[in-house]
Amino acid sequence: MTTYGKEFSKAFFKENPILVMALGLCPVLAVSTNAVNAIAMGLAATFVLVCSSTVVSILRKIIPNKVRIPAFIIIIASFVTIVDLTMNAFAHGVHKTLGLFIPLIVVNCVILGRAEAFASRNSVLKSIVDALGMGASFTVTLGVLGALREILGSGAIFGFPVLGTKYAAMLIMILPPGAFIALGLMLGTFNSFQRD
Amino acid sequence: MASTWRLVLVLGAICFAASVALSSIYDLTKEPIAYQKKLEVIRSLEAVLPGMEVDPDSGYLDMQRKEGTPVRVFRSISDGKVDGAAFQVIAPDGFSGNIYIMMGVLPDGKLGGIVILSHAETPGLGSPIEKENWKGQFKGRSLEDTDFRVKKDGGDIDQMTGATISPRAVTGAVKKGLEWFADKKEEILTAGEKTS
Repeated sequence: MTTYGKEFSKAFFKENPILVMALGLCPVLAVSTNAVNAIAMGLAATFVLVCSSTVVSILRKIIPNKVRIPAFIIIIASFVTIVDLTMNAFAHGVHKTLGLFIPLIVVNCVILGRAEAFASRNSVLKSIVDALGMGASFTVTLGVLGALREILGSGAIFGFPVLGTKYAAMLIMILPPGAFIALGLMLGTFNSFQRD
Repeated sequence: MASTWRLVLVLGAICFAASVALSSIYDLTKEPIAYQKKLEVIRSLEAVLPGMEVDPDSGYLDMQRKEGTPVRVFRSISDGKVDGAAFQVIAPDGFSGNIYIMMGVLPDGKLGGIVILSHAETPGLGSPIEKENWKGQFKGRSLEDTDFRVKKDGGDIDQMTGATISPRAVTGAVKKGLEWFADKKEEILTAGEKTS
């Protein structure tokens, strides 16, 4: 496998941001009540991640070590605001449901984590590949969690009922405790396979 | 000293670049966001005053609620007569945060319908207040023929399984809105220039 391939795929298994590193759990738990919200959140975070990783990597030799964290935060916050405004203008419905959680992407540890641990030390191309991998993995994991909770909690997927009217929805799955239960089960399953 | 200046300079330059980027994005998205907001108002007006035409830019009256807070009353006028009015009410006693409701009232005090503009109720539990099969029951009701309390409290409005607080809050707010309308009926139903 090429180095770039490796940089991309490591995010899905060995360094999965949610299931292995357990980063950025606040949005993961909060917006995974259904699959659509989860994927929208994942895509928004991916966009911010790729943009900020690129800029951080370009500026990595200019930014003095002492002020790197504030510099990273400004870069990330700017991209988050851009996403916030753009979504409000062109995807108003999604923006309304994700609402509060878009500005909170600023404090998503996955993004600052990649800026600090990877983009500030690697070439631009490598950083973009890393950010794409991390973002894709974040989106997929979040999407699976969202789909799981939506199926169990409201008997539907992407808003379409699939389990029939007789299915008694487990309401708890779309409430906060359900987020912890579902994430816990996913973490456990994933890590038991990873160990072998 | 030289290195301190470098810190200031780099961080300052990043902030400057960020503010330039953000202000241009803000300018670009200002119009579409305002348009989306207006669209939202138009859609809610259409839903609460079916078949009537309201111009959200000029067809309104700025009035005050009982508590002195301002409220904008949109009016549909045909043949010089007001044939419907719509205004926003706020239910402060929801499960989490305020629930904003747009309600349409016909001159005879009957409800044209209600729309939930925004809320932060528990997804799946309290959030079905948004759904037509719940909020639709308000259509055509008036203070004369309806006891605006949920059935659990001895009234006529259906609550839903598992959630009483959100329906109770909405019902209470709608009742207050109708009472306010009855109180201000003359002022609202007098067509023509702003009276107050």
